[in-house]
Amino acid sequence: MLATVSSATLIGVEGRPITVEVHVSGGLPSFTIVGLPDASCRESRDRVRAAILSSDLQWPQHRVTVNLAPTGVRKGGAALDLPIAVALLAASGQVGAGAVAGMAFLGELGLDGSIRKVQGALPLVDAVTAPCVVVPASCAAEAALVRPRAVRCAPSLRCLVAVLRGEEGWPAPPTAASEPEDDTGPDLADVRGQPLGRFAVEVAAAGGHHLLLVGPPGAGKTMLAERLPGLLPFLGTDQALEVSRIHSAAGIPLPPGALVRRPPFRSPHHSSSLVSLIGGGGPHMRPGELSCAHHGVLFLDEMGEFPSDVLDTLRQPLEEGRVLVCRARASVVFPARVLLVAAMNPCPCGSDGRPGSCRCRGAVRARYISRVSGPLLDRFDLRVAVDRPDAEDLLPGGAAAAGEATESVARRVAAARTLARGRGVACNARLPAPTLDAAAPLTPGARRVLELHLRQGRLSARGVHRVHRVARTVADLSGREAPVTEDDVYAAIAMRADVFPPQEVAV
Amino acid sequence: MSGDRGSPGVGRDASGYAAALAGLPGMGPALLVSILRRWTPEEAWRRVCDGSIPRPGKRGSAGQAAAGQAAAGQIAWEPEGVPAARGAKRPWSALASRIDPPGWWPRFAAAGIGVTWPGDPFYPAALVEDPQPPGVLFWRGSLDSLRRPCVAIVGTRRATPDGRAVAYEMARDLADAGICVVSGLALGIDGAAHSGALSATGGPQPSGGTGGDGTGAAPGVTVGVAASGVDVPYPRQHGALWERVARAGAVVSENLPGRPAQAWRFPSRNRLIAGLARMVVVVESHFHGGSLITAEAAIARGIDVRVVPGPVRSPASAGSNQLLYDGPGPVRDAQDVLDGLGIYRSGGAGLPGRGAGGGRAGGGTAAGRPEMLSPAERTVIEALGWRSTTLGEIAERTSLGLAAAMRALDELSARGLVEQHGAWWARRRSG
Repeated sequence: MLATVSSATLIGVEGRPITVEVHVSGGLPSFTIVGLPDASCRESRDRVRAAILSSDLQWPQHRVTVNLAPTGVRKGGAALDLPIAVALLAASGQVGAGAVAGMAFLGELGLDGSIRKVQGALPLVDAVTAPCVVVPASCAAEAALVRPRAVRCAPSLRCLVAVLRGEEGWPAPPTAASEPEDDTGPDLADVRGQPLGRFAVEVAAAGGHHLLLVGPPGAGKTMLAERLPGLLPFLGTDQALEVSRIHSAAGIPLPPGALVRRPPFRSPHHSSSLVSLIGGGGPHMRPGELSCAHHGVLFLDEMGEFPSDVLDTLRQPLEEGRVLVCRARASVVFPARVLLVAAMNPCPCGSDGRPGSCRCRGAVRARYISRVSGPLLDRFDLRVAVDRPDAEDLLPGGAAAAGEATESVARRVAAARTLARGRGVACNARLPAPTLDAAAPLTPGARRVLELHLRQGRLSARGVHRVHRVARTVADLSGREAPVTEDDVYAAIAMRADVFPPQEVAV
Repeated sequence: MSGDRGSPGVGRDASGYAAALAGLPGMGPALLVSILRRWTPEEAWRRVCDGSIPRPGKRGSAGQAAAGQAAAGQIAWEPEGVPAARGAKRPWSALASRIDPPGWWPRFAAAGIGVTWPGDPFYPAALVEDPQPPGVLFWRGSLDSLRRPCVAIVGTRRATPDGRAVAYEMARDLADAGICVVSGLALGIDGAAHSGALSATGGPQPSGGTGGDGTGAAPGVTVGVAASGVDVPYPRQHGALWERVARAGAVVSENLPGRPAQAWRFPSRNRLIAGLARMVVVVESHFHGGSLITAEAAIARGIDVRVVPGPVRSPASAGSNQLLYDGPGPVRDAQDVLDGLGIYRSGGAGLPGRGAGGGRAGGGTAAGRPEMLSPAERTVIEALGWRSTTLGEIAERTSLGLAAAMRALDELSARGLVEQHGAWWARRRSG
C-alpha cells in the first residue's frame, strides 16, 4: 500500500517542499529510506519505530520503502520524522488515507512519541503548499507568522493519530507569552565621559555608518558597541520577518511571539571560522553570523585577532548587503545587510596608542595591523580613538555626570532615519554617490573645508564622499534638513582619524 | 674621496692582517689591543702562525664571548674551510695557516672599507685613552669627521614624534655649528639625529676636510656606529640612511664586515658611541632603554652626559627623566649643548630658536603669535599641552563641541602650531 504526505527541508534560509512516499508491501520485514537522506535523516528510522510502538500503534512486519522526493535534493534534519511516521501509518492502514490528504507535517519524534521542536520551522512552513500544516506545539508561534490559518499543532503522535482518526478535535495552540516591550538592553547613560565615542555610536546608529573603535583594553569599546543596538529603531514588519526567518533557520532562540523586533546584535569570537561567519557548511547551509546580524549590528571585538582571510571575506557582503554562498550541490543567497562595528587595540602590547608608549617590536605591531586590510579599513566611515576614562570619573561620586540616556538619543536617531527615508534610502550610508550633492547640499564654507582636505591629500576622493555622507547624518541628528554646514563636515572629519599611523622611519 | 688620510688607500696589507687577527675565534678586544700595541699586525700574525701567541684558554669572559662570536657569524669575509663550530677548539696556528690576510685587503678596498687599529695613524684619538678600546675599527666613509668635536645623540627606537623632532633639530643645529653628531643608526631618535645632521647646510669646515659628496649634505657632519659589520645595514629600513651617513661622514664598527647585528653586540657598540663623543645627549629613553647603557659608559669614562627632559607621564621619557633626576644636567637644544662644551660661535650670531619666535624651528611666522588666535583656538591650544592627546580628551577638557574643537585643530595645524599623528594631537615646538 502506498501513502503520500508533504513536508519540507531546509537549505540556507529557505525551505524546499518535499513529498514523503511510503510503500508497504509483502516480503521480508525491512525498512529503507531512499532519496538522499543525510545521517540525521537516516536515523529517523529508529526514532519512528520507537515512537510508533510507544504510542500503542503497529509497526508493520512487511517490507517498507520510504522515498523522499524530489530525489535530487539532499534532505537533512529530523523534521522529516513526523511525516515519515504519518505516511507509514497511512500506508499500513492505521490512519485513513483520506485523513492525511492535503496535509503537510513537520516535526522530530521522541522515542516516547512526543513531537519535538524543529529548526527553521518558519521557512519550512512557508515552503509547503498544502492547505494545512501540522507542526510541533513549540513551533506554533513562528509557524503562525507566515501561515496563521493553516497551522495546526500536536504535542504527541498519539494525540495526532487520535485527531486524524476523528476521535478528537485539534488541540489549541499554546498561547504566546506576551512580548516584553521597550527592553532596549544596556543603557548609554552608563558610559561616563567618552564624548567622541558616544557621538560616533549615535552617528553610526542614525546613518548606518560602519564604526571602528580603537583604544586600549579597558577603554570601554565593548561597552559602547553593546549599547548601539538599543539606539536603533524597532524593525518594521517586513524586516522583522526576514530576521525571524534567518534566526529560525539558524536555530537561534526566537523571542516570545517569535517575531524578532529588536535589531539583532551578534558578537562572534575572533576564533570563528570563515564558514561560521559567512554561512554554509553541511548540506543545509546554515546562515553565518553575518546573516544572523541582518538588519542589526555585527560586532567584531578584537578585530586584530581575526585571521585576515576571514576579515577580507566580509568586504563584498558589506557592499552588497547579501552573500552568495556556492557549493558543488547548491548555491544559496543569504541576506547580510549589517551595521559593522569593530573594536581593536592600537597594538598588541595593549598600550593606549599614544606615540612613544608602545612596547611592541615593530614587526609585531605591523603584523597585527596588517590583518585589517586597507580595503576593509576603508569600509569604516567612522574611525575613532577611544581613551581610557579618568579614574576619578569611574569611582562613585565621580566628577563626570552620567551621560545622556539611550531613550533620548534613540529619539534623535529615529528622527534622523525618518529624514533619510525621505531621500529614498534606509539610512545615509547607502546614499549613492551621484545623488549625494542633491541629497546633501553643502554650504560654501563646508565645500571649502572638503576641498582643502582633498587638495592637501588628507582625504581621498572616496574619503570625501564618505565624509560627506557622515556630515549629512550629523546634520540630520541636529534636526536640520537644510544644507550641510562647515561644523557638520568638521565633526565628520573628526570621526575619520587615521587610527593606525605608519611608524616613522628616518631617511 | 680626495684626502688620502682617513680614506681607504692602497698598499695597506697590514689592514688585512689586522682584520684577520680580529676574525680569529676567541679573540676579544682587550687581547687584540694588547697584541697590537706590542707588535705590528704583520708581526703579530706571524707569531700567531708559529704558535708563539697561543689561543687563550677559558679564563677571560672576553675570550668566551669572542668564541661565541666566532661560532655565530662566519660569513663572507672568512675563507671557506674554517669550520666555525669545530674551529672553536682548534689552536690559532692551525686556523691561521688556512687564511691569507694579504688577500683580504683588496676586497676591503673594493668595498670601500677601511681598517685601523691601535698604533695606526688613522686610529681615532678619542679611543687611544679609552679603558675598553676596540681592537680594530672598520669604517666606510672618512674618519676625518671624528676630528671635529663629537656629540653623541642617543635615545629610544620607540620615540615620540616630539622626541624625534627634538633630536632632528638639535642634530641639525649642532652640525651647523661644526659639531660631528655621533649616533647608532637605529630607528627612532638615532635615525632622526643622523637625518637632522645630514640636513645641515654647512658650518665651519675642519682643517683638511674632504669635498662635497654630491648629496648636498655638508661633509663630516655625522658618524654612525654600527653593531653589525659596516656593510650590513641594520635595520633594513635604514639602508638609504647608512649610505648617506657613509658619504657625508662615516659608518664605523668594530665587527668584521659581514657580521650580522645580534643583540649582544649592541651594548659594546654603545660603549663605542660614548667613547667617541665629548658629550652624550639622551633625548628619550624608556625605563630600561639601551641608551642608558651608553650614558653609563659615558659616565664611567668621565664624559659629560646631558638629558633632554621629557613629559613626566610619557613612557618614552621614563628612563631619560630618571637619568636626569639622578644627576646629569638638562639640555633643551643645541645651544645648551654648545654652552656645555664651551664652544662659542664666531660672529656672535647664536643659534636660532631661543625666545626669538622660532626661527627655522618651524611656524615662527606672524600667524603663530598667540594674539592672533581665535578664542576657540586659544582654548584648544591651552588644553592640548605637549603630550599627545586625542580629540575626545580635548573635547572633554575644553567643553567645546567636537566640530568646534576639530575646526580649531585644523586651523592650528595649518599654521604649524599643532601636529597630528594618527588620532593623536600635540603642540609643536616654537608655538
